[in-house]
Amino acid sequence: MNDTGYFGQYGGSFIPEILYSSQQQLLKHYRQAMADPDFIAQVKREMQQYSGRPTPLTHCANLSAQIGGAQIYLKREDLNHSGAHKMNNVIGQGLLAKRMGKKRVIAETGAGQHGVATALISARLGFECTIYMGAHDIARQYPNVFWMKQLGATVVPVTSGSQTLKDALDEALRDWTASYEDTHYLIGTSCGCEPFPEMVAGFQSVIGEEVKEQAMAQIGAMPDKIYACVGGGSNACGIFLPFVGTDTELVGIEAGGRGDGVGEHAKRFHTDQAKFGISQGFASMFIQDDQGQLAPTHSISAGLDYVGVSPILADLSDRGLVRMTSAGDSEVLAAFKTLMKAEGIIAALESSHAIAGGLREAAELDSSQNIVINVSGRGDKDIFTIAKALEDQPFNDFLRSYLEEGQ
Amino acid sequence: MSQLATFIQQQRHTKSILLMTHVIYGYPDIASSLQMMGTILQKGVAILEVQFPFSDPVADGPTITDACHQALQNQPKLGQCITDISQLAAQFPSSRVLLMSYLNPLLQYGFDALATDMAAHISGVIIPDLPIDQHTMLAPLVAANVDPIWLMIPDMQQSRIDFVAAKARGMLYCVSRKGVTGQGAGSQRAKQQLHDYLDAIKASTQVPLALGFGISTAEQVSELIGVVDIAVVGSALLRAFQAQGLAGFSAKIDELMSVS
Repeated sequence: MNDTGYFGQYGGSFIPEILYSSQQQLLKHYRQAMADPDFIAQVKREMQQYSGRPTPLTHCANLSAQIGGAQIYLKREDLNHSGAHKMNNVIGQGLLAKRMGKKRVIAETGAGQHGVATALISARLGFECTIYMGAHDIARQYPNVFWMKQLGATVVPVTSGSQTLKDALDEALRDWTASYEDTHYLIGTSCGCEPFPEMVAGFQSVIGEEVKEQAMAQIGAMPDKIYACVGGGSNACGIFLPFVGTDTELVGIEAGGRGDGVGEHAKRFHTDQAKFGISQGFASMFIQDDQGQLAPTHSISAGLDYVGVSPILADLSDRGLVRMTSAGDSEVLAAFKTLMKAEGIIAALESSHAIAGGLREAAELDSSQNIVINVSGRGDKDIFTIAKALEDQPFNDFLRSYLEEGQ
Repeated sequence: MSQLATFIQQQRHTKSILLMTHVIYGYPDIASSLQMMGTILQKGVAILEVQFPFSDPVADGPTITDACHQALQNQPKLGQCITDISQLAAQFPSSRVLLMSYLNPLLQYGFDALATDMAAHISGVIIPDLPIDQHTMLAPLVAANVDPIWLMIPDMQQSRIDFVAAKARGMLYCVSRKGVTGQGAGSQRAKQQLHDYLDAIKASTQVPLALGFGISTAEQVSELIGVVDIAVVGSALLRAFQAQGLAGFSAKIDELMSVS
């Protein structure tokens, strides 16, 4: 891919030669599809009729009063079919794969949200489906694995390396090197080789486009700031990109984890543990050691512990168009509870990072100002993690009796 | 002409096929891996390929991937790796040593520094996740006579073959099939396709050809006589070591070396 697919110094295509022709084929079909009004209409229709778009922009009067600063609005990606923004991308790529005549899709997944979304669209569009998921993530997120299997997907536990998202991505790439003729690799975030970052961010940009319309209708102005959590970066790209270059400040919140030590967080910005690197098909900021080995990460949310980050966001951060900050596990849990009790909304732990960042800064703003926080997904899936973190003893009793009843 | 290509062509005057074998630096520990490399060179294998392990080896199958992850437990340093394998190369001047790794560890070391440190004793470098389109990144290595060894794959279009052939130095590493390292070869039909694929490459370049992926026995090596210049054996040697230790490893090399 010569000099294309770059965002500043990031992005590009760094893939084994074996994937060259399938990447070229994907690029060609993607460009053709995006220039075809029928395809665009088909994607839009599926987003409306299958996923329930547009998702609402919800004003949080109680929460705004409680924090005592800016008016807080939530973009409700949690109300998508499947419970997360991941659906936007799988609809777009699924329809593209269908158009390309592929029979099978493969995907990597971290928290399992992208895996479930891929399994859902595969059932609907008639693809054979294989999901690669780190063994550690499977242990943390079994309910998602359960649904993928029920939907007919094959879930392959990845036991190599750190057994998380990056290893699942490696394994999916290995599958693709042997299966590209009939298989589409449905990457779940705006990372990887060209055209994946642009394509995933593009399908997700429906989030920001809707916010623009809804902000005008409901607020009568563009938001002053927008907050989104940043794992791989797809929900952040989706809500940010339509606002790049406007007066709205864009703030990304990374997983601050439990500390600043190696393996305690998943920060790709504002840390000397991350630097420019090239791996997994693209150039970006990667958490790595002095030998260039990708390093272990931690987050309370399985969906934010990716070792790299979207090249689009790395470039926007370099250019000062997106401000990156982070929130730690305990601040995230507190924000999760605050939102839940004030507004009756159960956000995913991933999204609760954005909420933590938004609440932290909302207090400093004037009540005439408006912020939008992207609730990228709903928190039902996190019931086990949250019950454990909140030390809810009755939940343990329930699990015990559930198991005993089954015997 | 490339020194590596010249070496291969001279060796081929007396040998019908050359062997290139693979060791992961640091697996199962650094000392043992150096001992394996020494064994290979003592037995007269023409080319030793040393893989500096990377955390995310996307072109490798499970055998090599797991061994790389185990090697990383020993915290190998690329600088020390180059020093160690340069000493071996100096000790065995009738063989050649190549460095294989993924892009990121090499990028972090820096290609200027690599060129300086590899120039004396290391003949070439193999980087499976660096596509030919990015060849200018390796300009410092080319200038230092360390050959970038590009990979060829089946089903490449003629224009792509020509593009790689124009940049080829030292040798070309032809991958025998799709997929990753460490899996078996195919049927008779697959063999015919393989010959067609290699013929297309030979029509475009004079650079010596190595064939790898799925070669595990002396019989398979002998089948390649007259087909390519070099047979590459990777995962099979690793599996021999894992099954029967250094003795098994050594016996496997003897088996492979019985063909030439």
